[in-house]
Amino acid sequence: MTSVAALMAWPVILPLLGAVLALLVGRPGVRLVAGVASVATLMASSRLAWEVAHQGVLRQSIGGWGAPLGIEWRADGLAALMLLTIALVGPLISVHALDHLGDREDREFLPLWLFVWCALNALVLSDDAFNLYVTLELTTLAAVALIAVRRDLPGLDAGLRYLLFALPGSLCYLLGIALLYGAHATLDVGTLAQRVQPGPVTWVAAGLVTVGLCLKTPLFPLHVWLPPTYTGAPTPVTALLSALISKGSFYVLLRLWLEVFAPVLDARVGQLLGVLGAVAVLWGSFLALSQTQLKRVVAYSSVAQIGYLFLVFPMATSGARAGAIYLVVSHAAAKASMFVAVGNIHQAVGITALGGVQGLAYRMPFTFLAMALGGISLIGIPPSGGFIAKWLLLNESIGTRQWWWALVLLAGSLLAAAYVFRILRGSFLPLPAEVKVRSIPLRNELAPLALALIALVLGLVPWFPLELLAIGASR
Amino acid sequence: MDGLLDGCLALCLPLLAYLVLRTESLSQAVVLFVAFGLLSALGWARLEAPDIALVEAAVGTGLTGALLMHTLSWTEETPPDVRARARRRPWALLAMAALTLLLGWAVLALPADSPGLGLEVDARREDSGVKHPVTAVLLNFRGYDTLLEIAVLLVAALGARAVNPRSERASSEAAKDPLTGELFRMMTPALLLVAGYLVWVGDHGPGGAFQAGAILAGGGVVAILTSRMGTPRMSSLRVRWALLTGPLLFIGVAVAPLFSGGRLLEFPEKYAGTLIFIVEMALTVTIAMVLLMFFPGTRPPRTGRGSAR
Repeated sequence: MTSVAALMAWPVILPLLGAVLALLVGRPGVRLVAGVASVATLMASSRLAWEVAHQGVLRQSIGGWGAPLGIEWRADGLAALMLLTIALVGPLISVHALDHLGDREDREFLPLWLFVWCALNALVLSDDAFNLYVTLELTTLAAVALIAVRRDLPGLDAGLRYLLFALPGSLCYLLGIALLYGAHATLDVGTLAQRVQPGPVTWVAAGLVTVGLCLKTPLFPLHVWLPPTYTGAPTPVTALLSALISKGSFYVLLRLWLEVFAPVLDARVGQLLGVLGAVAVLWGSFLALSQTQLKRVVAYSSVAQIGYLFLVFPMATSGARAGAIYLVVSHAAAKASMFVAVGNIHQAVGITALGGVQGLAYRMPFTFLAMALGGISLIGIPPSGGFIAKWLLLNESIGTRQWWWALVLLAGSLLAAAYVFRILRGSFLPLPAEVKVRSIPLRNELAPLALALIALVLGLVPWFPLELLAIGASR
Repeated sequence: MDGLLDGCLALCLPLLAYLVLRTESLSQAVVLFVAFGLLSALGWARLEAPDIALVEAAVGTGLTGALLMHTLSWTEETPPDVRARARRRPWALLAMAALTLLLGWAVLALPADSPGLGLEVDARREDSGVKHPVTAVLLNFRGYDTLLEIAVLLVAALGARAVNPRSERASSEAAKDPLTGELFRMMTPALLLVAGYLVWVGDHGPGGAFQAGAILAGGGVVAILTSRMGTPRMSSLRVRWALLTGPLLFIGVAVAPLFSGGRLLEFPEKYAGTLIFIVEMALTVTIAMVLLMFFPGTRPPRTGRGSAR
């Protein structure tokens, strides 16, 4: 069972099987089935990452047909790191969801989360442009069902809003891929990279693919759906959306852009994406600073943090690539930790306003420790994953003589410090006498702390992820 | 003659699409949308893509049209805010025109005679276990896509639960109507036969699980709308088995080769045809169930409000 075929298949098949079985057993066994499937998937993902770290890039053609007829899987260091991130961050969020959601929502959340896990693992491994579309579609629809899992009006509104923005995004992507297939008669990403030529087809296809994926991620100015959706969704679902689901579409964009489009496009297009990213950093941070609702602060912070990721496109060096991916991973852990902490605060005091945190640091120490550690990573103070990521990006911006991106990085960090300290400052004020703090299960206090510790450890031992990332960085 | 037909289609499709968007009455928009779907099915047939034409007619037009009509019966008769839509229209129109021009520019630059992967598919079709190229691609060459698409369908059914109102099987007038009763009795065996035929014919001609599932679901929709049957609910164990046997079987067939040193979805050549047929049979039931789960039953009669359309 240690064949490459099995190694690469289980991280996709196990969560899928788990989801179907969890649906089948229904009420009594859903937690057990989901738990077993999660542990098994975590083991399968770690095993694959281990093999990639030791053997290098792994490839596999599903069904044995081989490209261009069949679909190929490709696991390089980047894919392995993403598998590990999903396998560590996702289950911690779902542990938190168990107590945060009601009993019925819980039964529906777990299978849907397993579908998302299957879709993201499939997305990360896929080396086929149409198969990537299928995985994006599965992620999107599962996300919509998750957002609406409470069946209340804010959730339904948020779910529909997400659907109406993410679906045109998928369609744009599909149109672009259809054009590429029409021109080059292949869907294999590696073959496409060899065959694309500058010309109308490539330009329009690259434009459609980029716009579609930016709509889903989302990049400024296509982010208008994000704040209401993130606010209306149940908090564990918001954590999944921000930490993992939005990273799926960015991952696809990063791969297609660096491997297929960048060599045949004008460098100014990359600059344009960088400018939009920079505006997202500044505008998102500014709006995060001016919010009065706790969850909206963290939601707008996501707009800004996604903006940093797009600074990779104007620099387009291996160092910038490593920096962007490092930010993907550390932001996944840090932002999941912050959203889960926000969920704890809502559960404990039932206040959604920013002032509701007043004095809570004394009553919920772990939650606020997690909030502070997560915040450190968002700002980029050492030691944290966020610091390493921003350091790499800073280095590249100087190295490629594009100093203006360094200014954006520094300004974004200052603004992030302002909105994080705004939350933390309130939590150390004296607890108002009239506020009743409900106790929440210890498990729910530890989940965000574990997530924040992942972001911290990423700053302490950066060499393992960075070495992993270098595996198969260029084809 | 063919040129005349194609020209008509090419003119009518954008015109109908425009009318769907322009019309102020929702029920008119639905009827126009169904007409648009039927014409585009014809268009697919003209483009020598009978498989897509079948799905477009059955799912894109038939079931979607029924779903839209049914939704109308659930909605109140508040007229849409037409003026607000009209104000936004110029921008949308401009954006769409720009997209169309861009796409046209790219499509004209495409190689005119590219066969895509058609030659490769034909070359390996012998090894796929089925004779129809579309089935060979969907269930064998790119069976992994289809496996994930089945997961998409399951997720869609789960999502539909969130928005579907809980309707009781209200004893509607339609249930007692002798005409629909007779129609239903005559239709059911024919539908079962057509669905079974479509799965079987998928081996060597246009057909397969999606089309057959849609046909089966069509019969189910009539049963739901005339209150002969309730909307399938996930709380029932029988519904869950009907829904999940197909995916479980497909996953089982997909991973079986892994245990004997093969690859995911690597069917042994000798049994490929049989395996594909069994998987398609089970998936037909799954697809029909998923499509049925989108349909809430008839709206319970309300008092003091305007009657449904």
